[in-house]
Amino acid sequence: MYELNICHLYPDLLNLYGDRGNIIALKRRSEWRGIKITISNVTLGDSFIPENYDIIFLGGGQDYEQTIIQDDLLKQKGSEIKNAIMNDKIFLCICGGYQLLGKYYKTWEGKEIEFLGILDLWTIGGQKRMIGNMAFECDFLKSDTFDGKVIGFENHSGRTYLGVDVKPLGRVLRGNGNNGEDDCEGALYKNVHCSYSHGSLLPKNPAFTDHLLSLALKQKYKDFVSLQPLDDVIESCAHDSMLKRIL
Amino acid sequence: MNLRLSITIAVSKIIIKGLRLMRRGGTTLPGKIALKLYPGFIKEITHNFKIIMVTGTNGKTTTSRIISQILNENDIEFISNKSGANLVSGIATTFLDSIDIKGNSSCSHALLEIDEAAFKSLSNFVEPDILVVTNFFRDQLDRYGELYTTLNGVKAGIAKHSKTKLVLNADDSLCASIGKETDKEVVYYGVNNNACDSLEENINNDASFCLYCQTRYEYQSHIYGHLGEFSCPACGYRRPQSTVNCVKVLELNPEYSNIHFSINSTGEDKSKMWDARVNLPGLYNVYNALAAAACGSLLNLPVENTIKAMGKFECGFGRMETINAGSKKIRLILVKNPTGFNQVLNYLLTEDKQMQLAFLLNDNLADGTDISWIWDVDFEKLEKIQHNVGTVYASGIRAEDMAVRLKYAGVYTNKICIIKDYKELISTALENTPEGQNLYILPTYTAMTELRKFLKNKFGLKEFWK
Repeated sequence: MYELNICHLYPDLLNLYGDRGNIIALKRRSEWRGIKITISNVTLGDSFIPENYDIIFLGGGQDYEQTIIQDDLLKQKGSEIKNAIMNDKIFLCICGGYQLLGKYYKTWEGKEIEFLGILDLWTIGGQKRMIGNMAFECDFLKSDTFDGKVIGFENHSGRTYLGVDVKPLGRVLRGNGNNGEDDCEGALYKNVHCSYSHGSLLPKNPAFTDHLLSLALKQKYKDFVSLQPLDDVIESCAHDSMLKRIL
Repeated sequence: MNLRLSITIAVSKIIIKGLRLMRRGGTTLPGKIALKLYPGFIKEITHNFKIIMVTGTNGKTTTSRIISQILNENDIEFISNKSGANLVSGIATTFLDSIDIKGNSSCSHALLEIDEAAFKSLSNFVEPDILVVTNFFRDQLDRYGELYTTLNGVKAGIAKHSKTKLVLNADDSLCASIGKETDKEVVYYGVNNNACDSLEENINNDASFCLYCQTRYEYQSHIYGHLGEFSCPACGYRRPQSTVNCVKVLELNPEYSNIHFSINSTGEDKSKMWDARVNLPGLYNVYNALAAAACGSLLNLPVENTIKAMGKFECGFGRMETINAGSKKIRLILVKNPTGFNQVLNYLLTEDKQMQLAFLLNDNLADGTDISWIWDVDFEKLEKIQHNVGTVYASGIRAEDMAVRLKYAGVYTNKICIIKDYKELISTALENTPEGQNLYILPTYTAMTELRKFLKNKFGLKEFWK
């Protein structure tokens, strides 16, 4: 029997409006295939040992909560997170969690807040919030049965720009994405998947969930070939109806 | 009285009449127009009233309804915006509707429910004598921004006033912080340690960390959400002592709750203890009743009348509204945010009969355009009562997303049924509801108003502004 260990980093602080849905999706889609799943909550003051985990999730937070983790993240867990990323560990990072991996956040007033600096990207605060349903296209999700179109909901004022080492996660079809200027949404660096689509990104995009699970299983088990398909009628209905509405 | 005010009142009154004739509520538009004609008019027409305001994330409407029953029991005449039109324009309309052309009213009191994000701007015009704040939870972040922005907005509004007395929830670290930061008179209410067993395993994270020093709170007791006896081990900020207390929850059943409560004491003085029935089910309504009782005590009204009011107030407009369909009942419960929704699910756990469930999820502006919050609701609780639940219907604009959530919560897919058309939904669901049992419908705001229109035609509900 296959087993996967998922780490939810700062679940009590970086858990903005539905982020938990991503954990629920990973858990259920594993269980439905008989894959044993263990979820570990790692927060302030806890030690973070990346070798113990197969997938690591970092969600978004309100400004207040993001300031609380600042020290713990930069001084305690930062170097381990960097090692894990360099060693191809699989990450999903949403909204605030995505920004934190970058170099800095520059507020609208010009104040610069130092972030982890693991990924070559940076964020600049904007005055206008970018809010709404969105859709983007991910090449790495394209297959014979899926066109790679992902739906989400964005709600951010930060505008993120990618440096040379980092690829966008997808191309914006509808909405703003990283900055509303260059049609790029999210970031992809090694096995780190970053997106502004907060809340329930994975539940309504089962192909994305399965992609992360497959990556993790391939990394862990030499004999793993592919995930068995599931009945996704309801998920597809939700996905397709939103895509139809906004495209 | 100046001419501009007279004209504004006259025009508004004609619009209100017109809209009512056309069978439209007319609960916000007249106020909106009046505010355009003469922005300062509210200040002029409100200063003769003794004003009670209710704000906060959850429980505004129900708390207002209990307070209105308390006023009734004491023969106090008052005006109120009971249709739930709780933005500045709705409140303006309420006053316009109640005054005569000269700006006079026969009522001495005004009871107003005000949206927590709109309170700050209303406070520029209207100064309440009593402000009741129910709680602060994460709600519609796409519309309100951050929770702390909402809280700070309410604080900024309060700071503009001098005479306001406050009624605050002692168990909510966010709400209670208002009292810590003001020198105004405060009456706190709360649920005592050991008064009940919490149905929730986890303290949710709307406010896990001290507002003042960012240290994780410790909890002596936990009621639901982040409500409970909190204390900060670092800076000492802690639950303030409350004077209106639920000492013991004696009974929680699907119809009502029985509580033992104290007023104007910390709960040890037996001579100041009372038994009361709260005429709506769910622990969250115990809080609403306590808030209303605290308001009654600030008005110096006799406790006996408050207890009478708690036992017989009615809410309606989607707050456990009951519609009889032959021997079966439709029960309508509005859901808006994770904490409120979780409380309604906790209530459903107390239902021991077979039931049909329908969840109606819309994503219009008034619902919040972001439906991600459904992933913060513990639908997983439904697994515990799966044997009692017949079909679970998903409806509304985002019915499919609702169905996905239910599936991932562990509801068997053969029990999940998507029906978008309300007519079909009601007839199918009622057909599947056994005689003498309940069909629970849990809609978001605009789904509730649409569904009510449909139910009004079919079952003859009261117009909501009556």
